[in-house]
Amino acid sequence: MDAQAVIDSVKPLAGQVLPVKTVQETQAPEEFADAYAAEVNVKCASKVIKALDSKFNRDTSLNHLRRFAKRNQLPEALQSTISQNQNNNGHSAHTIFVLISPPTADLDTLQTLLAPFAPGPPAPEENHTTEACSSDNAKIPFYPVRIPLQPPLNARQAEKWTKAMWPVIFNPAAPRANVAPPPQILNRALDSIKSRAGFYMALALIVADEAEHSGLGRRVGAVIVDPAVEETIEAEWDEAVVAVAGDARYSRLEKSELQLGQGPNPASHTYNADLEGGPELHALMRAVDIVACRRREDNTASAPDNGYLSPLESHFFYQSDAPPVTDTTDISPIPEKLQKIDTTTSHCTKSAGPAVSKSRIRPRTLGGYLCTDLDVYLSREPCLCCSMGVLLSRFRSVVFPRRGRMVSGGIASEPVVSPICDNDNDDDGEIDAEPIENTGDKSRDPQNNRKYYGLHWRKELNWRALGFEFVEDGVSFEMGIEGETGVAFHA
Amino acid sequence: MDATHNFLDVSRESSKHAYFMKQALLMGEKALQANETPVGCVLVYDSQIVGTGMNDTNKSMNGTRHAEFIAIQEMLQSHPRSHLHSTDLYVTVEPCVMCASALRQYQIRAVYFGCGNERFGGTGSVLSLHSDYAIDLPYPVHGGLFRKEAIMLLRRFYIQENEKAPKPRPKKNRELNTSFEGDAESFDYM
Repeated sequence: MDAQAVIDSVKPLAGQVLPVKTVQETQAPEEFADAYAAEVNVKCASKVIKALDSKFNRDTSLNHLRRFAKRNQLPEALQSTISQNQNNNGHSAHTIFVLISPPTADLDTLQTLLAPFAPGPPAPEENHTTEACSSDNAKIPFYPVRIPLQPPLNARQAEKWTKAMWPVIFNPAAPRANVAPPPQILNRALDSIKSRAGFYMALALIVADEAEHSGLGRRVGAVIVDPAVEETIEAEWDEAVVAVAGDARYSRLEKSELQLGQGPNPASHTYNADLEGGPELHALMRAVDIVACRRREDNTASAPDNGYLSPLESHFFYQSDAPPVTDTTDISPIPEKLQKIDTTTSHCTKSAGPAVSKSRIRPRTLGGYLCTDLDVYLSREPCLCCSMGVLLSRFRSVVFPRRGRMVSGGIASEPVVSPICDNDNDDDGEIDAEPIENTGDKSRDPQNNRKYYGLHWRKELNWRALGFEFVEDGVSFEMGIEGETGVAFHA
Repeated sequence: MDATHNFLDVSRESSKHAYFMKQALLMGEKALQANETPVGCVLVYDSQIVGTGMNDTNKSMNGTRHAEFIAIQEMLQSHPRSHLHSTDLYVTVEPCVMCASALRQYQIRAVYFGCGNERFGGTGSVLSLHSDYAIDLPYPVHGGLFRKEAIMLLRRFYIQENEKAPKPRPKKNRELNTSFEGDAESFDYM
């Protein structure tokens, strides 16, 4: 079957695309510190704040903690401590509790600072004109409390902390900025990806099969898609595919060790590092190299550095010469970004001169740069090396099937634990901002010892991509994932 | 072994490291001339340089063409992959996360680097892929060899305008910083 026939027969995988959470979401540190709640006269609240802020520098990272709480807003345990302490005076209706967060001074200093605002017997309003709100010898009651140092990731966590420690505010917009991609960007990408992801995923699996069957590589395939082209085409899904590549890690073995076209290479039944070629022969790296080759335009007639191209790889490599068949005049006003691509292709249709590139991949002379804004679909979760390669290549997003997760993978950020992980199943078009119950560090799975890096989006790294898992309909993960239980290797 | 003998061994050993790191710095210098991020490296097998590399991402239009990959590719043209078990890498800047993982997959014997890489470093700065749990053996890392020289290469690069970038930022008013006060150094490396 020739390449085009293979492509024409592709049946899209049925399933849904789910964002891979970031490690900041799944492995959020839960740090707590000691603080005090001081009971002060409710009338002096603003003076208390002024006194505290002029004496101590306010830690703005603690904005998720309420500064004041009424007695009935406090955790029950604290309320009963207060009751025991206060059975003598009954002026709690006129007091409020202020949080004194770390770094806290010693109690004597605080007592002196806040003494003017101590709760006292309710004074008649009109007599109350002095700076201080209470009599000089009044004592401020201080109660030790524990406070969470990081903002809550969801309303549930905020409620849990509020009930147990101190009233906490959940701001859905604020905390995400540092821990996850902005929801509107994530949602936009998800919308553009989810309708055709099944096709690209299916193609990646076919490319993987081809690589394995050739004997040159393991069963891993990569498909690079240009979402900008995708939005301009109405016809065939494969027109947005700019490159495909299969794994070719065995291509460096001696000819005698290769059984080309005979099915899986015997070396693939185990993991022997010396037979594994190297990461530059992994599917992702080879696909990136094909794009680079097109961007350079220096040897458009020949294959990229690694020399060998499989029938499918070669189909897309040369197919990318042909402009999309869509009649460009049909396209109504489109964003400037897309117009650039469009004028390029229509220009190429008219002038077939050899000097002009006809590739779907914009050459660098026309502003093409690395793999900027492209999406890559992989049949397996990429290894750490390739995951970072995705970032350094400036991909917009990386997509792999959940059943293709690998022990050695670099993208997943938490174990698949059904059914909790599938809490996004209610497809209301919005990304579920509620992470599962946070139980501390999930960076290690005791079952298979893998570490979860979530490399696609880490706040420490300069470049970030969106990560998605393709979860096929009807596939259960209760029995484990092949890539995590089978022969471990780097995909 | 007497003390004198031991001292000679140590100084011979450190001059060996110095020699190879200087070769890596020369590769970094070459990268700077070629308008690439100035990172250079050499691979040393059996006391011989068997591979050299410099960053090549601009010329190749491939963001993964880091010095380490170029050097390994050169070495593999004349050596079997298994020789990397007995090969040391000298690189001017701490390997990035991608290269740190690649070096582990290739089972390099040891890595010597000049300055740390606060943005992308994969052997201690951001992640520690040389020693984390993985399916390949860990490798030892030694940083700080000719650190200032490695930093100066980067500073000389970042003071230029990167004309290859889609939107060059004007850097006319920048001056080359030659002080090394304070240890924290961070570059928008790559």
